[in-house]
Amino acid sequence: MTVKLINKDRFNVFLERLASGNELVAPIEEDGNIFYRRVTSVNEITLEADAFCFAPKGHFFPQYEVLYKYQQGSNALVLEEPGPAGPSVLLGVKPCDARALLSLDPVFDGNYKDAYYLDKRVKTTIIGLSCRKVRYNCFCRAFGFGPTSGEGADLFLTEVKDGYLAEALTSKGEALLKDYSDLFTETGVDGALQEKEQLAVQLDTQFKRKVDLDGVKARLDNMFEHPYWERLARKCLTCGICTFVCPTCHCFDIIDENGGGSNCGSRLRCWDACMFTDFTLHTSGHNPRPGKKERVRNRFMHKLKYHLDRYRVTGCVGCGRCIEKCPVNMDIIQVIAEIKEVG
Amino acid sequence: MKQIVDRLRQEAARLLAAGDVAMVIGYAKGTDVARTTPYFATNEEEAQNLTWNPFCTNNLVKYLLDFRFEDTKLAVVVKGCDSKGINRLIYDRQFPRERVVVLGVPCGGLLDRSKVLATIDPGAELQSVEDLGQEFVVRTDHGEFTFAKEQYLLPKCAVCRNPNPVISDVLLGEELPVAEEEKSDTFDDIVEMEALDPAAKSAFWDRHFNRCLRCYACRNVCPACNCRECAFEQAVPGWQQEACWLSKKASVDNNYTFHLIRMFDVTGRCIDCGECERVCPVNIPLRKLYRKVIKDVQELFGDTTPGLNIGDGLPLTSYRKEDPEEFM
Repeated sequence: MTVKLINKDRFNVFLERLASGNELVAPIEEDGNIFYRRVTSVNEITLEADAFCFAPKGHFFPQYEVLYKYQQGSNALVLEEPGPAGPSVLLGVKPCDARALLSLDPVFDGNYKDAYYLDKRVKTTIIGLSCRKVRYNCFCRAFGFGPTSGEGADLFLTEVKDGYLAEALTSKGEALLKDYSDLFTETGVDGALQEKEQLAVQLDTQFKRKVDLDGVKARLDNMFEHPYWERLARKCLTCGICTFVCPTCHCFDIIDENGGGSNCGSRLRCWDACMFTDFTLHTSGHNPRPGKKERVRNRFMHKLKYHLDRYRVTGCVGCGRCIEKCPVNMDIIQVIAEIKEVG
Repeated sequence: MKQIVDRLRQEAARLLAAGDVAMVIGYAKGTDVARTTPYFATNEEEAQNLTWNPFCTNNLVKYLLDFRFEDTKLAVVVKGCDSKGINRLIYDRQFPRERVVVLGVPCGGLLDRSKVLATIDPGAELQSVEDLGQEFVVRTDHGEFTFAKEQYLLPKCAVCRNPNPVISDVLLGEELPVAEEEKSDTFDDIVEMEALDPAAKSAFWDRHFNRCLRCYACRNVCPACNCRECAFEQAVPGWQQEACWLSKKASVDNNYTFHLIRMFDVTGRCIDCGECERVCPVNIPLRKLYRKVIKDVQELFGDTTPGLNIGDGLPLTSYRKEDPEEFM
């Protein structure tokens, strides 16, 4: 593993060069929201890891994307698939979001290989970044990693007083350090690594909310019919906020849009949410998850049990986004504690 | 505020014990110092978990709809702004008056959560809040904090015209005085928007609607959005999406369609509780849309504020023979 250091001035040059050679995607602020978006000028980038930032999952799994276009030809239907993705760099990815990609990978790269996701996944280099502050609802520690863990990133940065410490964690990360070797140095790496150690210790003291997942899965295994779900679900509005802000939620719907002339159109996939009434609605009119209870139960079961059952990784990474954005204070940390009480 | 909390718990416990209501919908302690959560008390013991403080932002009226097809009687805690929602549901025949006991709270304003959290550690334990008229004194285990209302109220509360519930069966505190000049809305925010040229308006809404996630939180929280089946949730197969008003594709054009249809749908019916804007996860200034149509309706049909009372017909939902019909 190559470890190097880059100073602040050179870091800006690094960003400029990344943006000119690739599609660079990084946190950008708009009206008080921070989204991962394509960078047009590096001045737009905001790497303030202590503000709320939407997850970068949309880079691999956009809110909507065209699967193919169709046109009725003279004899047959002509299908046109979108071209392959170009190389891209996803910059400033938080440890929880990098870890979340490892929860998404088995979904799209399992028995069924999802060409759309995998094409972007393979062609994207992920530059992670250590957090500088632990937010109140952060609980990544409960999942066995922390605010300075790089797992899931190709190159992992940590802000230090002289710039950024850069650790190559994969061959893509190594390649990046090699390509930009004129900007990175080995001088001062030892001191920077020590600084990172200190940061990790300091951040560890900032976790406010205690979360212990021990025994939660075992309880959930037997809690499907528990009256707890009905009580818990009462306050839910069944909006899609928790699923849309979640870095690991990945459900989608497929729709066709006719248009752009006669006999042509496109097939798209769009984010869907298990909180929506029509998510599980059958053609017959039967809905196996007819009410809030079934939907809320499904969400927490998926995060804390089903994903583990299926893929041996959790469906939650402790980013705290759903807690922060839920309009009715549905709080997965509280739910975890209550499952242990009632289960 | 302690008196209101005591009175609330007492009244809720009494209603539940007597079997007058099956459930009291109110607020309980949330998971950080500046948050409460909707709470559903079903017995006397649970009634003791109910609370009241300037972090009780949710409009709880919408929850009545979850029980609209049952026959149980419910009690619900309302502030002035929320109380108009009760009238909304009664007028829209979504919930019968006789099945709800309205527990009204005179409200001195809500504190802006994000501003408060910049001052108080979110993990602090809330002990008590006192409303001193111009300011709130918030006592926590991390110390005592004073928040001047002028600086810390939610924007909607800073211009509130209904601090007292417009409908209630039990008033849980002393009615608050309202100065005459505070009673009418001047729509400064809308006048400002109207002054923009069309290109600037378009750019404004393009930017905001472009990031709409179509999570439908604005619709789901809205007491005026009380249709049994929503135009945006038509059960049609994917290949018939075009038969719907709009597709699931969250593109800026579809998002415009969603928000503008919703705007027209709540025209003359929006009670301006501001919940849509509060719940929006991407900070779309939704009240600007709905307040624009409130203003238009007032200008076209005279001074009418939806939800202020049950009895009067609303301009767009009632018929009068003498209504002008020059456009027909």
